[in-house]
Amino acid sequence: MRPDPAVAAAVDKPVVEARDVEREYRVGGEVVRALRGVSLGVAAGEFLAVTGPSGSGKSTLLHLLGGIDVPTAGRVWLGGTDLARLSTTQRDRRRLLEVGLVFQRFHLLSMLSARENVELPMAEAGVRPADRRAASEALLRRVGLAERSRHRPGELSGGERQRVAIARALANGPRLLLADEPTGELDRGTSEGILDLFAGLNAQGVTIIVATHDLHLAARARRRIELVDGRLAS
Amino acid sequence: MRLRYVVRELWHHRLRTGLALVGVSVATAMLLDMLMLSGGLETSFRRLLSSRGYAIRIAPVGTIPFESEALIPSYPTLRDTLLDVPGVVGVAPLLGANVELRAGADSARAFALGIDPAEQGVYRLLAGDPPAEGRVVVDEGLARDAGLAIGTRIELELAGSLGVARRVNVRVAGVAEFVYSARGERVVALPLPVLQRLAGRGDRIAFAMVRISDTADPEAVGAAIRARAPRVETFTVSGLVERARARLSYFRQLSIILGSVATAVTALLVGTIMAVSINDRYGTIAAMRALGISRRTVVASFTGESLVLSAAGAGLGVGLGVLTAGYLEGVLAGFPGLPAGIRFFVLDGPAVGRAIAIVLGVGAVAGLVPAWRVANLEISRTLHREEP
Repeated sequence: MRPDPAVAAAVDKPVVEARDVEREYRVGGEVVRALRGVSLGVAAGEFLAVTGPSGSGKSTLLHLLGGIDVPTAGRVWLGGTDLARLSTTQRDRRRLLEVGLVFQRFHLLSMLSARENVELPMAEAGVRPADRRAASEALLRRVGLAERSRHRPGELSGGERQRVAIARALANGPRLLLADEPTGELDRGTSEGILDLFAGLNAQGVTIIVATHDLHLAARARRRIELVDGRLAS
Repeated sequence: MRLRYVVRELWHHRLRTGLALVGVSVATAMLLDMLMLSGGLETSFRRLLSSRGYAIRIAPVGTIPFESEALIPSYPTLRDTLLDVPGVVGVAPLLGANVELRAGADSARAFALGIDPAEQGVYRLLAGDPPAEGRVVVDEGLARDAGLAIGTRIELELAGSLGVARRVNVRVAGVAEFVYSARGERVVALPLPVLQRLAGRGDRIAFAMVRISDTADPEAVGAAIRARAPRVETFTVSGLVERARARLSYFRQLSIILGSVATAVTALLVGTIMAVSINDRYGTIAAMRALGISRRTVVASFTGESLVLSAAGAGLGVGLGVLTAGYLEGVLAGFPGLPAGIRFFVLDGPAVGRAIAIVLGVGAVAGLVPAWRVANLEISRTLHREEP
């Protein structure tokens, strides 16, 4: 699937870029090298799949690209801004406004309805209640859940929950959507629906990076990279 | 939206919330009772002393009011001296003696008060007339127990008089409430000269209360009295309250200790509940942080949850505290020799406000600490923590 001409014009501008990124963790007194000198650029409108076995550093790379984590060495630029130069609060704000996140386990607030979950990032961004209500209804329509906006996560199926999570990720109109094993908890049929949704969003110009070990999902992306032991294999 | 989430979260964990509310309520009730106790005696003592409009008390030199059998000689001279002091507008003398009261075949022990019917501050007349020559006023309890009515003839005999018995026959002229009497104490008031004759006290009195003009300063008038009447002790209401405060330090220390315990229990309870609640939601909180929800918002949400819990507990606790204070007041009312007007627990706005403020403050801090901790966790690693 190709982006529309307006999107195609913006493809060469990197939305996010990592250069010589390394990430080490200390676990029980031992240093674990999760990423070793990874360099990567993702242009606007791309749909990138990051694949690799468990523990290869897929989630770590996603977290660094999204500014959730900071590298031990190397640099990450999001929208041209060096994330290392931002304070924690500034990075929080960047993520809120420029990055959408989708998790394997959805991480919806069980006490809030689907609509209220979608509204959450907008409320944090200071959007007025009436505006965010309208926007959240529109987003839920976009992911095919217009009729389920009042339902709480416990009343939704796994696929529906992930759709709500995707709508939430899109709440503040991010330039980048990061999804970490988005179909990891879903069956094949439901996963197909989520993949179609991602493809549709990408066609509308949303830049997407998906970390997955699901080769079927990876095949739907327009570019694919593989991580092995924290290094780029391809 | 945040408050809605907080309320739903608390409602969702009803058992946990309910138990926490009970705990916070009990701790608030204890704290409120201790705050009421710490200032209650002092407040009610001040109210009692001020209730009849006398700002200064006069006692025999070297004594303090209520605590000595020493007498002040030459009351008429003292009264004239006091009335000459600028600001003094009235002097109410007082002499006390134990008497046997007989009405027909019945007899009862009573405490007789010799007063000046035209200037007295010890009773409020409920029925009948003030005392006069051959006429007395009795307290409600005595009238009820001894079957005395206005017009009943009674005989008063000085208790413990040896040799020739000292007696006087009088009629009941009125029934009154004696404001300084202990609960259950039987009191009869009669004109000062009558009691002075009956008790053989000449022109002496035990005690006097001085009324001053509205514009006069009690301390200044007290100093003027001391200068003119060096053989008496002068006490202002504030001075007496200050002495009482020193003597009641035991109650204050007790209330501070128990109040501190209640505060600590509140902090531990709310802190534990919030820590458990936050621990249940580590993964979700990390996800919210990953989405860009600020640390401030996370901290505010959990502090809000803690505040809602504390506020609801404090509200219930105030009601519970008032109920328990009433019960304890009933138990302590039997304290021997204490005027019936004295209260151990005085419910006032500042005490309630302090109790609520302390519980809310402690609750906020108790919620703030675990909230701040979770808000500052490393998002990336916390995201993968299992949730129950």
